[in-house]
Amino acid sequence: MKVLLVDDEEKFVRMLARRLDLRGIQAECVYTGAEALSLVEKGEHFDVAVLDVKMPGLGGIDLRRKMGEIDPQMKFVFVTGHGSDIDYKIGANEAAFYLPKPLNIDELIKALGKVTGVSPEDTDSQH
Amino acid sequence: MDNTQDLLQYESLAFFGKINASISHELKNIMAIISETAGLLSDLSDMASTGSPVAPDMLTSCTASIAEEIERGFATIRQMNRFSHSVDTPVQSVNLADVLALVIHLTGYLSFAGKVRLKPCEAPKPVVLTCPFLLQAITYQALAHAFKTAEAETEIAVSFQPRNDQAWRIVLTGINGTELQDFPDTITRRMAQSIGVTVHGDSPAGRLELEVPQTLEIGQPEQSSTATPNGSEG
Repeated sequence: MKVLLVDDEEKFVRMLARRLDLRGIQAECVYTGAEALSLVEKGEHFDVAVLDVKMPGLGGIDLRRKMGEIDPQMKFVFVTGHGSDIDYKIGANEAAFYLPKPLNIDELIKALGKVTGVSPEDTDSQH
Repeated sequence: MDNTQDLLQYESLAFFGKINASISHELKNIMAIISETAGLLSDLSDMASTGSPVAPDMLTSCTASIAEEIERGFATIRQMNRFSHSVDTPVQSVNLADVLALVIHLTGYLSFAGKVRLKPCEAPKPVVLTCPFLLQAITYQALAHAFKTAEAETEIAVSFQPRNDQAWRIVLTGINGTELQDFPDTITRRMAQSIGVTVHGDSPAGRLELEVPQTLEIGQPEQSSTATPNGSEG
């Protein structure tokens, strides 16, 4: 499973990528929507993108639409620090999963497994 | 709800809610980083207990990160505290530089926040008698509007100018002049009128001025809109 992590909070993304790596899940980190879109436009394929909803510039919801047009096979999971009901409804309509911060790593891995159809036990776990 | 006073109270409450929402988002992000870092430390601890080597610099990096985020959290809570206490006294003497410093911190939590430079004010100090909460709301909206419309990487400069003995001007420069016609919005205009603040936009110069009277007269009538030579309303 190849995962793209997109969030403007760099420390958060780096720590999350490290934890996923310890669990045998390869994750690439970018810190803006524009960087993420550029990767996909250049032909990079990811099984699933984990997107922060609110980011400077290109936000998660618009990014999901643009990347989905380029790579219809890519799946998406949203994460957010916002908590309003409207945010939740919008996010839930736009992606398969919508997880609030702080994240529970096990819930994230379960979500990644469900959207990609790859069971967490199938990853080459080092943990 | 068509009573002007009720509308102003509701709009003030809405502004209070908006600021608290942005602060809570910031605090959640901080908690998320601390949570992930603590989780990583837990993972590394599990690895160590099974005999796998753990690099010391990884532990140092994690603990330093937690310490930094805790300090960031405290700084955010300090701003939240200052903002919350700005409603303690409806009308009081305030230093405009202090008001703008708080507003710059608060607008920094916006996802579209840009760069701001607050120019130090030479003597005399820009002190006015006003409603601090409403003045914060007006300057917040002005700065947020500037961020939304500014070109990427543009720095908004904020300075203060005395205007005779009657008022001080808060001056914002570096703004996209073509968007100045959209400011102030109806709510911000109403707030400004309620405390005697007038808004002047200079589109060609990319400049926005908020004129704050030295003294707020309680119960002063709403000011009628007057167009400045470049067409902006006060």
